Amino acid sequence: MELANTLSQDGESRGGVLAHLERLETQVSRSRKKMEEPQSAQAEESALGTRIHELRRLRDKLRAEVKQHQASVKASTTNVEPDQTLEITEQESLKRKWENVKAILQAYRFTGISGKLTSRGVCVCISTAFEGNLLDSYFVDLVMRKPLQIHHHSIPVFIPLEEISAKYLQTNIQHFLFTLCEYLNAYSGRKYQADRLQSDFEAFLAGPLQRNSLCNLLSFTYKAEPEGQSFPFCARLLYKDLTTTLPTDVTVTYQGTDALSTTQEEQRAAHENLFFTKPLHQVFTSFARKGDKLDMSLVS
Amino acid sequence: MDSQLVEARALEAEITALRRACVEPPAPGEDTSRVRKSFRETYQADSEGWELSKDLRSHLGHLESEIQFLSTLTGISIRHYSKKTEDLTSTEMTEKSIKKVLQRHRLSGNCHMITFQLEFQLLEIQNEESLSSVITDLSIIMEPTEYSELSEFVSRAEERRDLFMFFRSLHFFVEWCEYRKRTFKRFKGLSLTTPLPPTPSTNLAHYMTVIHSWTLAALPSQNPHYEKYPEAVHLSEGASSSCMGIRNPSRPGFELVIVWRIQIDEEGKVLPKLDLLTKVPLQALELDKNGVIETAPLSFRTLLGVLGIEATLESLIKSLHTEASN
Repeated sequence: MELANTLSQDGESRGGVLAHLERLETQVSRSRKKMEEPQSAQAEESALGTRIHELRRLRDKLRAEVKQHQASVKASTTNVEPDQTLEITEQESLKRKWENVKAILQAYRFTGISGKLTSRGVCVCISTAFEGNLLDSYFVDLVMRKPLQIHHHSIPVFIPLEEISAKYLQTNIQHFLFTLCEYLNAYSGRKYQADRLQSDFEAFLAGPLQRNSLCNLLSFTYKAEPEGQSFPFCARLLYKDLTTTLPTDVTVTYQGTDALSTTQEEQRAAHENLFFTKPLHQVFTSFARKGDKLDMSLVS
Repeated sequence: MDSQLVEARALEAEITALRRACVEPPAPGEDTSRVRKSFRETYQADSEGWELSKDLRSHLGHLESEIQFLSTLTGISIRHYSKKTEDLTSTEMTEKSIKKVLQRHRLSGNCHMITFQLEFQLLEIQNEESLSSVITDLSIIMEPTEYSELSEFVSRAEERRDLFMFFRSLHFFVEWCEYRKRTFKRFKGLSLTTPLPPTPSTNLAHYMTVIHSWTLAALPSQNPHYEKYPEAVHLSEGASSSCMGIRNPSRPGFELVIVWRIQIDEEGKVLPKLDLLTKVPLQALELDKNGVIETAPLSFRTLLGVLGIEATLESLIKSLHTEASN
């Protein structure tokens, strides 16, 4: 302190340097346990300290200049918020941007179609769902060349991939992808219904559920009341339109030799209608709830 | 001592970068991203952050191009996305190694002229064997709201919590709308150029121009040899509307109106529905012994099945045109 005072008349800069040197010296002596310092090291430190101080000043000067430069350009950009950029370092904003971009890339899977770039082109991932339940995903690896080619894929063989590619792949890739999406989602939905019937409503089935791999032809014998006296009906569901999850053809028949009574006939017709309008497992849910008496208001 | 050396080096690096930034001339109104990049460089002089930022920057550029590519591939642009996760696992569940998590997602973007804002909840239950994910809530806001066909579709999608069907049907709906607009414009003789998306400065540009040329090729009516009928065709509400009127300027009073609606059915299938309305003066009706005008709507439907949409519309326009010259 004394040193600084006596030399203050010599000019601020020198007093500043010396004061700085002093601070460095005290710092160094405080941090080191050893009281003895070799003279050369001290000298080095003081030289380094001076240099640092000079560098700092130069840096601050340049920073101010760049800020001015920045301000004049900022006047012409309308998207930048001045407060933000002053407070947050560029690196932080970069990081935030990166997080945001990564998130958006992840979000694409919620559209049903997302993709990852590959060395040859893109690997498109198609997601499926039914009634809000997220189900299987499938991928199609595309080679971005003319003509566009499918390198490999995980689409099941019974989905008419070749037909769809022949129609749309070369001319309208969006249409190709969304059409494939349609078929896959419908298949997933039908499969989900058949699986649920087999697992949740086993008690209602009088025999095994017969199904094909495309799940568009189902045949089963069931009782609307598992314990009761109701007669077993035979149901045959055909989904001719592969892009739907509801059947196009439904036949419910009675397997017995006796003729059906009026109420039984009514029931049969009502069941047929139910299978047409509601997903399979929901039909059986309504059976479970209402027992033999079918509430016609359920048929929507 | 070491910390001082480190600091000195950092300062030197920063100064070099700052010097570089000062030398660069200001570019008002020019490519601001380039200018912003140089500022990023100047402010990255933290010695630890230096290398990390360079990697971040190039990676960020690559990711942004990937998003633009996906947007061209699907036709859907996602602009904002955020997610909140809530852990609903109870202690009882943890004992059985079951994990229950509720995610709240918020997504917004656009598909051509339609913007959407979605909020949905995803419930994930993980036990030892499997992971089940169920969408438990879905709410959709769409604009513009003048497409009345969409409001019913939106409520159905919300009810069913069918997120994928929403996007799928949205895509096909927009495709049909664009096709309808192009067809109307083509008959009216209006320009059909669609603005090209901005090409990114990576090798993705090649992929994107390829895809874009394909989608353009899928457009009908790019053929310059197609005839235009600017006087006969009347678009009272513009090319984006669902009606096209066909008149003959030399025969006022007669008008054929094509109503082209785009409907979305229960399953989310998008189908065009075209109808013909006739506006005919009373005297002409009296003279129409064969009931041609009465049966016109039905014949229109038959023609659609045989010739397809564009050819049917063209033949209608031509028929009204030639009648005038008789």
